[in-house]
Amino acid sequence: MLEIERLALHYPDFTAQYDLTVPAGALCAVIGPSGGGKTTLLHAIAGFERPSAGRLRFAGQDLLPLPPAARPASILFQDHNLFPHLTAAQNVALGLKPSLRLDAGERDRVAAALAEVGLADLAARFPAELSGGQRQRVAIARALLRGKPLMLLDEPFGALDPGLRRDMIGRVDALRRAHGLTVLMTLHTPEDAADTADLFAFVAEGRVQSCGHWTRLIAEDGPEPVRRFLGL
Amino acid sequence: MPGLQRPPAEIVLHPARLTALAILALVCGSLLGLAGAGSGAATPAPLGPYLQHIAASAAVQAGLSTLLSLPVGTALALALLRRRFPGRDLLLALLASAAVAPTIVIAFGIVAIYGRSGLLGTLSGSLGLQAPSIYGLHGIVLAHLVMNAPLVARALLHAFEREPGERLRLAAALGFSAVDCFRHLDWPLIRREAPALAVLVFLLCFTSFAIVLALGGGPANATLEVAIYEAVRFEADFTRAAALAALQLALCLGLAAGLAALTPPIRDEAAADRQASRPDAGALRGPDGFVLLLSIALIAPPLLSVASGLAALPLLASAEVARAAATSAVIAAGAGLAACLLALLLASAARSSPRGTRLPDLAAFAMLGLPPFAFVAGLYALLRGLADPALLGLGLVPLVNALMALPFAYRLLWPVLATGAARYGRLADSLGLQGWNRLVLVEWPALRGALGAAFAFAAALSLGDFGVVALFGGGDLTTLPYLLANRLGAYRTDEAGALALLLVLSAGCLAWLAQRWSRRHA
Repeated sequence: MLEIERLALHYPDFTAQYDLTVPAGALCAVIGPSGGGKTTLLHAIAGFERPSAGRLRFAGQDLLPLPPAARPASILFQDHNLFPHLTAAQNVALGLKPSLRLDAGERDRVAAALAEVGLADLAARFPAELSGGQRQRVAIARALLRGKPLMLLDEPFGALDPGLRRDMIGRVDALRRAHGLTVLMTLHTPEDAADTADLFAFVAEGRVQSCGHWTRLIAEDGPEPVRRFLGL
Repeated sequence: MPGLQRPPAEIVLHPARLTALAILALVCGSLLGLAGAGSGAATPAPLGPYLQHIAASAAVQAGLSTLLSLPVGTALALALLRRRFPGRDLLLALLASAAVAPTIVIAFGIVAIYGRSGLLGTLSGSLGLQAPSIYGLHGIVLAHLVMNAPLVARALLHAFEREPGERLRLAAALGFSAVDCFRHLDWPLIRREAPALAVLVFLLCFTSFAIVLALGGGPANATLEVAIYEAVRFEADFTRAAALAALQLALCLGLAAGLAALTPPIRDEAAADRQASRPDAGALRGPDGFVLLLSIALIAPPLLSVASGLAALPLLASAEVARAAATSAVIAAGAGLAACLLALLLASAARSSPRGTRLPDLAAFAMLGLPPFAFVAGLYALLRGLADPALLGLGLVPLVNALMALPFAYRLLWPVLATGAARYGRLADSLGLQGWNRLVLVEWPALRGALGAAFAFAAALSLGDFGVVALFGGGDLTTLPYLLANRLGAYRTDEAGALALLLVLSAGCLAWLAQRWSRRHA
């Protein structure tokens, strides 16, 4: 279970304080207006931002003292998840060993991870030779290989076609069930995850303002700010 | 694909192409003018062995300077990238000043620190030791290192700042060690930037003039540039000067073309948010501190030695200095504007071919190879019948200074326009946004930071320029560097120190203002 309690961050022009609980193995979609603090929330969980107060625990472990690499989380950005000078396989291998000196067993695991996202044939390609969706799948393969139980996806499929976007969300959903992952995913198009996400967190003005299942959020008596955001 | 080709008239009449042709025509015209001003009888006979000697000694000197400046500058850039400390901005301003400080001031500072009667000489003298002379190859290389290591460091820092912040976060999330960071974050970028920087530094040192003249210690270390200066100034052998200048131009352009092929193409450098911190910042505190201290010890003393001119500043309160300062300011402003305009026109070729084009590149880098005073002398010889000499000089000097700053200004503007073309080129094409409208509506927001930097650089370079003025200075064309050389020659060291201080402060102010401007409009 991911527990966030009064996690506070202060910037000259922005203040945030988050409260959110996500059950283990759940897929939580984080939605809300641009600039409302969705990315900051994910970055705080991943360890890129320094909260000034509050609690952040996963599976009972306090994450706040840990550096990013030691946290039980993998993160995917919208862009620049891959290093342009490394092949797809090498980019995945970074998840095992940044030195890229792999033995035969480790090479097999890299190949298996690529196969799991359907890219077994494209292992030798450079990022510039892959499509946007393929690049994100390489990044997902790396996240799988790292074996971290918490996956943070920051608007990962925003640049893809609607059909492909849903396909990718479906893949993420299948992988989290297969590997028992807890997933937090920010989304610009909430309806894409209407059928898959267990939980929607509505983040605005630096706070989780509402949290609940899709059907509750869009119900006639749902929270007013969320209904306004969704244009209902 | 015939549908994609532009009509021939449009290619020939492209502003970038026209500008490039005009610059190259000026270059050829000046060489012809110089050759024509000679006796007519070519005198290539005595050139043979001497020519080989000066070309070889210039190459050795420039090679050594480049081999030292690149690693030192790179280490400094990496240390500055990883470390945040009070005074970092001040150090950056110091680096900027060292990169644009007048060469004659650097020579002055080197002598003030390392000369026999300088700081180190006096110190070792009081210990009963005889300090080695600073004059010679090592003095030249040291001065070039002081100027070019900061240039390399700043260019690399700019390149690193354009990298996407996600890569740093990714590196942190993947637990990169310091070695991994170097291998996956730093090395690809260094490999991309280093060839162009190496060529730039090599050419700057190969054609170095004031430093070689001041610290060379005799003909043994003469460069082609110095030989050309002597041919024009003392021997009045213009034919020989033209031949030497053409040779140097050909050597430099050949080298630039050859090594430019090593540079990998620019990839789209998407907007970086600079808040991400380096994951290797903790590991390398010791080595970084060592690099920073060493660099400061190397670069700061020659620059700060001009502060000794502080006490003599009141000596400068004369009409002569005021007039020289005004002349310098007018020339510098003119050179800055002209450099921005020419660089913008040439770089506009990036819109249609973001990977680089031959002709604008050639025109932008031509003045790295051609000695500015040979260029001015040729143009002057060509035009002297047409206008008043003083007026001609006042027009020619800013133009030449602008052309000297063009390689830097062009390098600043080109990536901005190329990135803009990669991102918005199709959109602009589909909306029919071309020429002026495209500049104002699409490119201006990204361009103004780089334009400010280009203006400041060209103005600072022009402010400290001694080469051109050495030939034509005096009378109506007395600038601050000319006065400085004049006072140094007359052993009026106090006044010279005060003038050097004034020049470094002006260059530093320009660099600092440009940095603020660029940051605000980044």
